[in-house]
Amino acid sequence: MLKNIGKNMNNFKKNFLKKRYNAERRFQWYGKIAIGLALTFLAVFMFQIFSKGYSAFQKTWIVTEVHYDKELLLIDAESPSKDDLENADYYDVAYKAMTSLDPGLPEEEDRQLIQMVSYKYETEVKDLLLKNPDFLGKIVPIKLTASDDIDQVHKGNYPRDIPEKNRRVNDYQLQIYDMLNERGDILSEFNISFFTNPDSREAELAGIASSFMGTVFSILVCLAFSFPVAVLAAIYLEEFAPKNKFTDFIEVNINNLAAVPSIVFGLLGLGILLAVFNLPRSTPLVGGITLSLMTLPTIIIAARASLKAVPPSIREAALAMGASNMQTTMHHTVPLSMPGTLSGTIIGLAQALGETAPLILIGMVAFVNTIPGTPVDPAASLPVQIYIWSESAERGFVEKVSACIMVLLAFLILMNLAAQIVRHKFEKKWS
Amino acid sequence: MSKIKAENVNVYYGSKQALFDVSIDIAEKEVTALIGPSGCGKSTFLRCLNRMNDVIDICRVEGSIKMDNLELNSRKLDVVRLRENVGMVFQKPNPFPKTIYENVAYGPTIHGIAQSKEEMDQIVETSLKKAALWNEVKDRLDEIGTGLSGGQQQRLCIARAISVSPEVILMDEPCSALDPIATAQIEELIDDLKKEVTIVIVTHSMSQAARVSQKTGFFHLGKLIEFGSTDKIFKNPDKQQTQDYITGRFG
Repeated sequence: MLKNIGKNMNNFKKNFLKKRYNAERRFQWYGKIAIGLALTFLAVFMFQIFSKGYSAFQKTWIVTEVHYDKELLLIDAESPSKDDLENADYYDVAYKAMTSLDPGLPEEEDRQLIQMVSYKYETEVKDLLLKNPDFLGKIVPIKLTASDDIDQVHKGNYPRDIPEKNRRVNDYQLQIYDMLNERGDILSEFNISFFTNPDSREAELAGIASSFMGTVFSILVCLAFSFPVAVLAAIYLEEFAPKNKFTDFIEVNINNLAAVPSIVFGLLGLGILLAVFNLPRSTPLVGGITLSLMTLPTIIIAARASLKAVPPSIREAALAMGASNMQTTMHHTVPLSMPGTLSGTIIGLAQALGETAPLILIGMVAFVNTIPGTPVDPAASLPVQIYIWSESAERGFVEKVSACIMVLLAFLILMNLAAQIVRHKFEKKWS
Repeated sequence: MSKIKAENVNVYYGSKQALFDVSIDIAEKEVTALIGPSGCGKSTFLRCLNRMNDVIDICRVEGSIKMDNLELNSRKLDVVRLRENVGMVFQKPNPFPKTIYENVAYGPTIHGIAQSKEEMDQIVETSLKKAALWNEVKDRLDEIGTGLSGGQQQRLCIARAISVSPEVILMDEPCSALDPIATAQIEELIDDLKKEVTIVIVTHSMSQAARVSQKTGFFHLGKLIEFGSTDKIFKNPDKQQTQDYITGRFG
């Protein structure tokens, strides 16, 4: 029989088969195109972020010389103590360090030179001496943070060919910059301060430390509130609660809760946590609790699904051995459902991690220029930081936004990785 | 001597009646086989004997089931104590996804049977030996039980069931997922176990019932059609229905 395949086919049958194969081929192509499109979008997105953001990880320094002159510092003591150095007057010393770059400049034009470094240059001058007290009375080279504008010039982001009055950097400053650059006194180094500085109005000083810590605390608070509550709720509903109209009603409502827009939870946090319980405004504590309201249904649903997925034969085995309901649940069902529950928790936390709207409502959008040490200190969070910076006009903040997105993505990837590792460990143990 | 005495047992799943007035006497230290076509209620009856029907919300059991004069079908009965004395082996091997040792030690642990680690080791060893599994697994007790072959898994489940020294073991088609060699091993095991334990086995295999049991009950459509010594049921049944089923004319 098989030998005759293809021999005795009439045209109708041939066409019919051809159509069938073509349909399958077309279907596969649709799938390939869909995946291709998705990957293209992802690639464009990533390219955009990386091409704009990578330069934020470079910081520009201006090198000059500073003379730690005892007289100008107003230090009288022969061998000054730490306190003396702390309380000395650095204004003149720092000022001279900058103006010495162009001694011929008339005094009333000084500002042009001072503007080339960050407004905190005086502190930098002070910090160097505090770290090296033996520099007192000597002339030493010093690195000063370049201003946002010089930073952008150095990174090639400012075109020089537009009229001077439309530029933030004037011709004189460019001339000084070129001179310094030729001498090798403009340095570009890895931008550590982006990770260690809190937010600032000046792009060259702004960092993500405050929002990063805010995010970490928020997520921890969120996890601490939502995970135990959600897991207990899921276990009770799945393993112990009687199946009746009331529990059905609860289930429907949990599913509805998962679909509520996050800003509504923000209003809830504002109306109850802040107004009724008087918890401190703008803090990760309130942010975390608000986010946990959002995460709760996600974890409950995931935990219930993974409890349901535990084969009934395991429950029967335990029950038949004389285990109580509680023992069956705690010894067998819950441990077996943990990988699924944990991955649900990660998904919930990942959502919470990127959430902005509810945090804005409870005040975590405030400008915070200190690094929070506890969950009850005011803080921002990474996505809110992106939002704040994206509103700033300076070119320096544009790259910061992209850089912040990169950090957020890296944070997410790390979290997922940790989750995968935890999951893997559990599964190894239980399969 | 009668171990379990069931009288007029009726079981309902919601409004559907699954068992009709089943009365049966199960003798001590014998193997009683329950046979019958699928859906005839033999598993349902078996699950009445260790109250596993409690798990099913809509299931309702009426009538009297006495084990050594203790009423099993009573609200006041301590189900945990009952199941300590009535072990069960299921159709599909269902070892816990834990180590072989933990599988066997689970029952003694939750019932507080072993006083010390040495005693527990002893119980695990004895149970595995009784289940004819010891020689195959003694060097890998800390391996996961689900990694064993099907027949080994089922013997592990039997070891788990006998670890708490039950008086009765219920077996719900214990060999239906196993190959003939594993089946033969389990049947041999049943033969050994009946010296100490009362066994009730549900099976689809007529030859298995004939081989391992002393008494056989034939169920059909929720009714116990005939119950008697295995010899009699297979050689000279009273009822035509039994005769038809055994000779393979229906079912």
